[in-house]
Amino acid sequence: MDSNVWLTAAAWMALALAASLFSIRLGVSVALIEILIGVAAGNFLGVHTTPWIDFLATFGSGLLTFLAGAEIDPDSLRRHFRPAMAIGVVSFLAPFVAAAAFAHWVGGWDRQAAWIAGVSLSTTSVAVVYAVMLETGLNRTELGKLILAACFITDLGTVLALGILFANFNAWMLLFVAVTAAVLWQLPRLTRMVITRVGHRVSEPEVKFIFLVLFLLGGLAKLAQSEAVLPAYLVGLVIAGVFVRDRVLMERMRAIAFTMLTPFYFLKAGLYVSLPAVATGALLIGALLLVKMGSKIVSIWPITRAFRFEQREGIYTTLLMSTGLTFGTISALFGLTNHIIDQAQYTVLVTVVIGSAVIPTLIAQRFFEPPPAHAITEPSPPAPAIAAPVGGA
Amino acid sequence: MFHRILVGLDGSEGGRRALESAVELAALCHADMLIVSVEEKLPAYAATVGEVEDEERYEHDYFGPIQRDAQQLAESRGVRIHLEVVPGHPAVALARLAAERGCDLIVLGHTGHSRLHHLFLGSTADRVVERAHCAVLVVR
Repeated sequence: MDSNVWLTAAAWMALALAASLFSIRLGVSVALIEILIGVAAGNFLGVHTTPWIDFLATFGSGLLTFLAGAEIDPDSLRRHFRPAMAIGVVSFLAPFVAAAAFAHWVGGWDRQAAWIAGVSLSTTSVAVVYAVMLETGLNRTELGKLILAACFITDLGTVLALGILFANFNAWMLLFVAVTAAVLWQLPRLTRMVITRVGHRVSEPEVKFIFLVLFLLGGLAKLAQSEAVLPAYLVGLVIAGVFVRDRVLMERMRAIAFTMLTPFYFLKAGLYVSLPAVATGALLIGALLLVKMGSKIVSIWPITRAFRFEQREGIYTTLLMSTGLTFGTISALFGLTNHIIDQAQYTVLVTVVIGSAVIPTLIAQRFFEPPPAHAITEPSPPAPAIAAPVGGA
Repeated sequence: MFHRILVGLDGSEGGRRALESAVELAALCHADMLIVSVEEKLPAYAATVGEVEDEERYEHDYFGPIQRDAQQLAESRGVRIHLEVVPGHPAVALARLAAERGCDLIVLGHTGHSRLHHLFLGSTADRVVERAHCAVLVVR
């Protein structure tokens, strides 16, 4: 069937459609269902990828990363910069170091594979956090906005690590850094210009312009042995302000991504999860999940206390910051496709990532959900010994 | 007898019957009504914030006309109402809102799920009864 591109496409689209239907019925993210259907397809139906599916999946992960970066609220990040930076950086560093050390010294993984474990498990899922906070209205409070801003900082740490740790530091890297810096500097102005002059037409020049930038920087990243998700996230971050004012553009790009690109990425991410490896690696999976949650709790909870969060809100925030999904799977798949980790290690990491999307969320909602938003006490200004009051630049 | 009645409205036939009964009861008691629709299908464990926002917008659009119809029905009987659309699990959200807003009765429609569904999942009404601080009326 591989030689018949239409039938191959039909089979993959059937899986994607099934995932959409299950997702709507169950009220669970289509991404998670696509991964699970991918697991079933890989283990029981013998489905595998082709070069064009690999490209769509790679583009899907890049676009997903771009959209994740573009979802940041720049004003909120500026308002809560200090506590968000403190929580976000620690939330990245602690699990990164802890998971890498555990995988290397306890799991016996080589150093490069251990770095991938660290990067995969350092993430915080902004979307998982947002969905949980929506139910209490916490997303509309300053506390909620601070937590979301911290999640973006954590994810920035993850993509930076992924883009730098395995890169070659040579002339290509210099070129990549120089071009990326120049593009990021001019991009908000250029994007606004494209939208103003030729935007919202049927040929979608503004979407093509952004795709062009993503392809170009992704290509340069590849030449430097870096990872395309790094420039994609940075591009998203710098033009988030443009997207805040142009919701239509955001919705169109999301429609393109969720229809034709991300299903291929998430199905592929599930395809390489080996169920026998889940069984044999169960102990390590449980241990790494505890390492991720434990390191987040040990590092973030004291900071929430330093910034005068109520105890319950501090634990709730900490648990939400322990979640992960998109960047965790992207990092693990990067490791697998670049032969840094093997399929068994990939299986362990993706299973831990899925567990980290579900388990901390359930514990937070079941035992530590703060009172409804109107009853929430906003965190007080931080103690002088830790940081000065948050600036409102 | 009752001062503030909360009715759960999900767009189903059972929900509509619950609304009609609640309006009759509110008119008899000169009670206020709080009409609540719960967005229960927001995606858990989402990949992007936009995925959640889009689904929330879809649910809002779905409940808009349903709530407007309910408003017309209530106002035709001279009942004063408040409308709300909230995200969450229906049973948790309804019980919590009833407590927060000082409602003394929750009115729900019978969902008509299959026996298998009831066996494994129970019904929203069962769960509201477990959680509610006030009386609960289930309309068949």
